[in-house]
Amino acid sequence: MSTPAAAPVPALAVAGLSKAFGGRLAVDHVELAVPSGSFYGLVGPNGAGKTTTLSMATGLLRPDAGTASVHGVDVWADPAVAKRMIGNLADGVRLFDRLTGEQLIFYTGLMFGLPRDELAGRTADLLRLMDLGEAAGTPVADYSAGMTKKVALACALVHAPRLLVLDEPFESVDPVSAANIEDVLRSYTASGGTVIVSSHSMDLVQRMCDHVAILAGGRVLVAGGVEEVRGGASLQERFLELVGGRTHAEGPAWLRQS
Amino acid sequence: MVATVLRLRYRILGNMLARSPWQLVGFVFGIVGAVAGLSIAALGLVVIGASGLDAVRGVVTIGGALLVVGWSVAPLVAGGVDTTVEAEQLAPFPMTTRQVMLALTVVGLAGVPGIATALGALSALAAWARWPVALAAGAVCLPLGVLSCVLASRAVASFSGRRRGRLGNLLGLLAFGVLVLTGPLLTGLLGLLGGEDGFDAARVDAVVTGLAWTPVSAVWAVPGDLAAGEWGPGLARLGIALATLAALWLLWRRNVVAASVSPRRQTVAGRTGRLRWVGLAPTGATGASWARSLSYWLGDPRYLRNLVIVAVLPVLLAFGMRWEVHTPVFAFVVVLPALLLGLVPYVDVSYDGTAFASVLATGIRGRDDRAGRLLGAFTAGAPLVVVVTVVTVALSGEWVLLPAVLGCGLGALLAGLGICAVSSAYLIVPVPASGDNVFKRVPGQSFWVGLSLMGFTLVSGVFIAPALALAELAVFSGLALWSWLALVVGLGVGAGVAFAGVAVGGRVFDASGPLLLERIRATSGY
Repeated sequence: MSTPAAAPVPALAVAGLSKAFGGRLAVDHVELAVPSGSFYGLVGPNGAGKTTTLSMATGLLRPDAGTASVHGVDVWADPAVAKRMIGNLADGVRLFDRLTGEQLIFYTGLMFGLPRDELAGRTADLLRLMDLGEAAGTPVADYSAGMTKKVALACALVHAPRLLVLDEPFESVDPVSAANIEDVLRSYTASGGTVIVSSHSMDLVQRMCDHVAILAGGRVLVAGGVEEVRGGASLQERFLELVGGRTHAEGPAWLRQS
Repeated sequence: MVATVLRLRYRILGNMLARSPWQLVGFVFGIVGAVAGLSIAALGLVVIGASGLDAVRGVVTIGGALLVVGWSVAPLVAGGVDTTVEAEQLAPFPMTTRQVMLALTVVGLAGVPGIATALGALSALAAWARWPVALAAGAVCLPLGVLSCVLASRAVASFSGRRRGRLGNLLGLLAFGVLVLTGPLLTGLLGLLGGEDGFDAARVDAVVTGLAWTPVSAVWAVPGDLAAGEWGPGLARLGIALATLAALWLLWRRNVVAASVSPRRQTVAGRTGRLRWVGLAPTGATGASWARSLSYWLGDPRYLRNLVIVAVLPVLLAFGMRWEVHTPVFAFVVVLPALLLGLVPYVDVSYDGTAFASVLATGIRGRDDRAGRLLGAFTAGAPLVVVVTVVTVALSGEWVLLPAVLGCGLGALLAGLGICAVSSAYLIVPVPASGDNVFKRVPGQSFWVGLSLMGFTLVSGVFIAPALALAELAVFSGLALWSWLALVVGLGVGAGVAFAGVAVGGRVFDASGPLLLERIRATSGY
């Protein structure tokens, strides 16, 4: 990609982001620049620091060092303004699951100060999009894992953020809903929105994303356009080559059935 | 297989305690408490053993019955049943239902309460020392008694332990209400037994004999029967005891089998358009927080049970005052529960669990979050306090005190909520997760919870002191003026503390929000 003289402000820029847990460095000087309007994939093995990086970039976890800014607004200096621009689907957190799906989406909209009559329409749209119409009046506590993920995604979308940060958005979501959501996200980026998605599915990232960063051991191994990163090979092959740790064994002898 | 599960249970406990020194401290205090209680019980049994057969029979029968009842109620109200290992978690392993149940029985025996109960029951042997027949029977019956304690708690827990069971939570709340009322119920019973001038031995005897025929205490009565030479009743009670054990085992077995074939959660279709409080809230962060908070106060048993206390505590105090409610003192009975209610959300953010991440992600200002939570709690609590106030004042017949009591009650509620607006921006303590058994015991929780709450109660008491002083003037002078002044001062101070709490707590929250989330993950992980 050619860089114009006056570089446009990236949708998300993190610089020198670091975090240690109990002496172990989980995220080690991570640098990322997510261009506005891009569909950005974040991949890496378990424990690579993806969730920690995204938490720090969205103002949920205070970094030990480094900065994060959303469309030029420093997340940690001006969290209220930055967070209004972010739609956040965090991984591994509960929801207020005593509310019904419909209540939860409506409530999230109220939190962002959306007008009530506008919100009624948006809630109905999102329930339809996520195919949650049947379960709209059921407490989220009674949802399956996939339905919970979908309602959380709906909550991330309700205030029409400029930047969507989705941590493992398709985990346990059924294929039909996943395809519908994919379409919506595509047209969202086409209209200028930015999506960052962390995933373990290389196929999905290769298909959906135009940019990708590979994280391992808390560091960015490589980042850039998807074509450029995979360099002719598939993303899966490139990933395994970079991250390593692949064993070509037949597995332990005791596991073989004959 | 049983030994493996037992090792697993101790390993889980060890890991939990190793992870947090605070939990270890709480655990040690629990053991100290158990040892102290045990020593007192053993000493008492030896002393009673010297005072004759009838006394021993009475004490062992009643004491045993209380043990069994305590173990049965514990899973409902105190999470007393050991939840480190559950039948559902053992399901993937190649164990028969019988093995699972045996393992869980042993695990139940091997916890601190189990060991304490076993030792306590064994110390009853000391009381039987003078009667060889009873000693021999005790060697059989006391272990059977301990076994019925464990089986009773497991059987009850297998009903209430079904996740998300609203019925289970309802049962828990009911049992909780009954337990809170045990004091007055017992006093009432004893009052029936005793008259004005102490206990009537014959009546006590009759009660013990009657009690000994019930499943909860039959097993404990057998040694005494044999010692007294009453072989017929003794053997019959042994039969009752064995039948009870069999019944408990079968009941528990039925639920374990049922749990292994039914899904852990079922999704039922619910209609749209039921927004409830969320539908009433004005848009904005404060309004949204208010609606969420109120929904939880009125729907989550972890909050709801505190509202039950406010309604039940005056009844309790009325019992304590021997139903002499026609006094000015009774008019003020609502103030204590109102004060305690105000302090309920003192670790409100802990109750969110990791769902707090979704609050933090909106970039909410601390002041809005504090205000929303405070208003939610106030909307849930204030109507109840007003109703209880009107009822208790009406009973006392001191209508002139109504404004004063309202001022003190609502003032105490507001002042407490104001304190909580600050404290919950600092404190994270381990609490049961949403949807867990409300009464689940979180190891190490009780000690620190008690300590910090004591401090907040004192502070809240200081805030409400001026209104109480004016109310006292109203009582002694009988003048309505003082009463109305108490209302104004109580509401004024309460509102002042609430506003200050929102402002100060809001500023703290703005700085500490991400840290709170980090500590929620570290303490509970959900």
